[in-house]
Amino acid sequence: MTDADQAREQVVEFQKRIGALREEIGRVIVGNRDVIDGVLSCMLGSSHALLEGVPGLGKTMLVRTLAGVLGLEFSRIQFTPDLMPADIIGTVVLDEGATGARSLEFRRGPIFANIVLADEVNRATPKTQSALLEAMQEHRVTVGRTTHVIDEPYFVLATQNPLEMEGTYPLPEAQLDRFFFKLHVPFPSRDELHQIIDRTTTAEHAEVKRVLTREQILEMQALVRRVPVARHVQDYAIRVLQATHPNGEEAPDLVKRFVRTGASPRGAQAMLLGAKVRALFDGRFAASIEDVKATAESALRHRVLLSFEGEAEGVAPDRVIGEILKKLPASKE
Amino acid sequence: MSGRRRRAAEEPPRPDAPMLPKARFFEPVHVAVLAAVLGALRVLNLSLMGPRHGIGALERAARRAGRRLRAAAVFSRLMLLLPLPLSYAVVALALVKVLRLGATGERCLLLGGSVPLLVLLVLVGRVLFARRHPLHGSIVLDQFHGLHDRVTSALTFSRVPESERTALMQAAIEDGASLADQVDPSRAVPIPVPREALLVAVLSLGLVGLSLLEVRQYRQVPPPTTFEPMSMSADDIELFRDVAKELAAKNDDPNALVAVRRFNQLIEDIAQHRLDRHEVFQRMGELERDLKDNLELDRDARDEGLKGLARELEKSGLSKPAATAFDEKRLADAEKALRELAERLKKKESRPSAAELDKLRQALEKASRTTEERAKNIDERRRELAEEHKSLLKKKREQADAGTSDVDKKLADNERRLEHLDREKDRAARGHKQLSELDKQLAEAARDLMRDAGQSARDLEQGAQDINRMAKQETSEEQKKELLRKLQEMRELMRQQGKGGKDQLQRLQKFAERARGQSGAGQGKPSDGQGEGQQGGKKDGPLRLGSGPGSVSVEVPMPVTQSGSGVGQSGDKPGDGTEPGASPGYGTGHDPKLTGDATDLKGKTRDVTAAGADTGQGTASSQVIYGAAERGFVGRGYKQVFTDYETVAERALTQDQIPAGYRFYVRRYFQLIRPRD
Repeated sequence: MTDADQAREQVVEFQKRIGALREEIGRVIVGNRDVIDGVLSCMLGSSHALLEGVPGLGKTMLVRTLAGVLGLEFSRIQFTPDLMPADIIGTVVLDEGATGARSLEFRRGPIFANIVLADEVNRATPKTQSALLEAMQEHRVTVGRTTHVIDEPYFVLATQNPLEMEGTYPLPEAQLDRFFFKLHVPFPSRDELHQIIDRTTTAEHAEVKRVLTREQILEMQALVRRVPVARHVQDYAIRVLQATHPNGEEAPDLVKRFVRTGASPRGAQAMLLGAKVRALFDGRFAASIEDVKATAESALRHRVLLSFEGEAEGVAPDRVIGEILKKLPASKE
Repeated sequence: MSGRRRRAAEEPPRPDAPMLPKARFFEPVHVAVLAAVLGALRVLNLSLMGPRHGIGALERAARRAGRRLRAAAVFSRLMLLLPLPLSYAVVALALVKVLRLGATGERCLLLGGSVPLLVLLVLVGRVLFARRHPLHGSIVLDQFHGLHDRVTSALTFSRVPESERTALMQAAIEDGASLADQVDPSRAVPIPVPREALLVAVLSLGLVGLSLLEVRQYRQVPPPTTFEPMSMSADDIELFRDVAKELAAKNDDPNALVAVRRFNQLIEDIAQHRLDRHEVFQRMGELERDLKDNLELDRDARDEGLKGLARELEKSGLSKPAATAFDEKRLADAEKALRELAERLKKKESRPSAAELDKLRQALEKASRTTEERAKNIDERRRELAEEHKSLLKKKREQADAGTSDVDKKLADNERRLEHLDREKDRAARGHKQLSELDKQLAEAARDLMRDAGQSARDLEQGAQDINRMAKQETSEEQKKELLRKLQEMRELMRQQGKGGKDQLQRLQKFAERARGQSGAGQGKPSDGQGEGQQGGKKDGPLRLGSGPGSVSVEVPMPVTQSGSGVGQSGDKPGDGTEPGASPGYGTGHDPKLTGDATDLKGKTRDVTAAGADTGQGTASSQVIYGAAERGFVGRGYKQVFTDYETVAERALTQDQIPAGYRFYVRRYFQLIRPRD
């Protein structure tokens, strides 16, 4: 068996696992295929997701289900204005041992889990929000002089409610940039609502079973990183990123008019990693331009900052990104 | 090479051997056609070689797709831009066809056409040679077949060295290679026919149609020129023939005779209807110019020179008669005086004294130098004036800013004087030329006078001969002037006759009506008509001539041959001079030669006036005169009367202030009533 054959098998196996995951999650979550794929992409891309949607759309349920099927340690943090950083990171407490000896011991907070649900993250103060920064980026937490490494895989899922903005603290750009994708959770359709009602108003509760092991997840994450990207695809992702900047060479007029700042390089990283995951979802060995296009909105919408005119005109970042994708040719010398 | 072939190659060709074209394996045109066919096949994705699967096939398909993309872009741009030069060509061709531009115009249009053509070439060239992504073709293949960049990725990874390839890359290459037979560049990259192609087709068809179209030029063809000969009445022809004959008889100057011959030839040509009006006037003009040429100038110069001679010769008593004749331009008398002087010098008995001879010598010497000195003086004055002019010009330049009105005035004055001197100089030169022989003879006579009076006399005789020559020349000039006058008369006659002489008869008719006293149409008041009347009873009754509408009557004094019995011509009311009706129609005087008393008019008589009714249908006065003047009817008396009248009329014309316009009518009148022999 050649390396190519092995690689093919790995890809096939990846597809199977993803299929199983989708199927198991689907037992609990109705519809929202794109959101599920987006969340899975974030997880397989070793990064984090920000879910935005009105209350009651199943955001928390999705995360809980995901944690259940993955069999990983899960913690949920309900962000409130009085939540303190120590509440999520943990704190050093004086511990008295069996011998009566007292020592300072670090008590890990809820952030030390494989899957962390930061529910309504915009309700906490920026100080508390920023406590997530190091953990999300470095996968470790430093308290005093001691650095505590978080176990892999580490996946933060934050949710926020776009309607109740009073008394909230919008996430700063630096923190938003840490999120791999920002996923909009749409309102379910009529059929989906029927299914949701059916599932939640009866005595039966669907129980999910664990589908993947921790090792398998890490293996899948590694495979994603190995997926090759042709130069022209990478070039396309970079051009899309550059086009989000008002002074970009290929920036369309909409960007020039309504965008204050374009996406950071993390946007291109997110697009390409998402494209790789998507290629593997489809059983392909390399990412394509279509994959980049498919992930562009999720990867860039929270990274494109609109100008005052853009805000005043009610221009959505998705519209800007859609315009870029529409105008940008696939190849350029 | 076999021996036979080698020999054949070495042998020179026989002269009678037919020349066969040399066979060549590759003609350039064949190579070009083959290359074009292969290129077309490649563009159209019709491969003639190579496998249709594997990464190589994928690579070829991608390249073909790339070429088709380029071809489509070039075609599209070409169709977009072609209307520009085609439109220009259509307009230019239309202009060339319709306006028939010359070579310069066509060259300009051709040059102008290079602009749109150049624009087309540059813009199409930019598309043709534009840099494109190396995998542009494969990207388009992926997009068309929905392959999610599997082809492009495979080709990209295939270019990575094998040692650096990952397992997934290799899998991607193999995956892409498996698609080689599925991709279709011709379908993926169609070469569409742009909308502009319709316009291009229309313009091309228009251009072809226009080039085939022959625009008929409606050229204004001038009507064929019909020769309309100038005609003159036989009577006038005869008149001018007589004039020519008379001038030829009087003249023996060859130049004048040539002029007369030319005049005669002109008359004959007119008589034979060989000339049209334009040619007649042209030839008359030429003749007139030749006759006029230098006539007046030479005469003036000669007269001036003779006056100079006269001034000097006057100083000697011996040459005074000649001087007086010179001064009065009586050349014959001057000749005679010089001959007499020569005679006197020859004879010893009548030879003058030494003092008189000395005076004569000095006078002759000075006279011989007059014209030359005059020319020299003029030259000197002109030179001085030119220098002054030069200095004035310099002064004007130096005082450019100051007021220079005085200098300007002087300069203008100088220029006028210079011009005058130039004319004088010219005149002096002409005089010198004419009198050079006489000057020479006078100078020789002066030299010989003190040595040998006989020789001096011979010199003077030769001088007299030269004067005789001048006198003859003067006569010839008179004849030339006469010819000129006749030419002018003839020209005026032609003018009056109008084009081609068609109206001549009508004019004569009118003339007859006027002569009869009838007013022609549009002649105004009856008394304005042309006519002639003679008031009886007066010794010097004026001849009143009127012509044309509203004209002023001109009085011509006429001699009266029979006093007291002048017969007033009835002078019909209209147009009969000023007082036609006042004349009673008979004379009131009495001839003393007649015996018996004069009629007592106051006697007791009863006046009875018997007059026939004037119906205006009888013979007109002019007709009567015509009849009298006609050949075979001319009597001696008529001739006498005519000569008298014509002489008086001619004198009046030359001496009195008669407008030029009327002179023609008077002369014409006399021409018409001249007695025909």
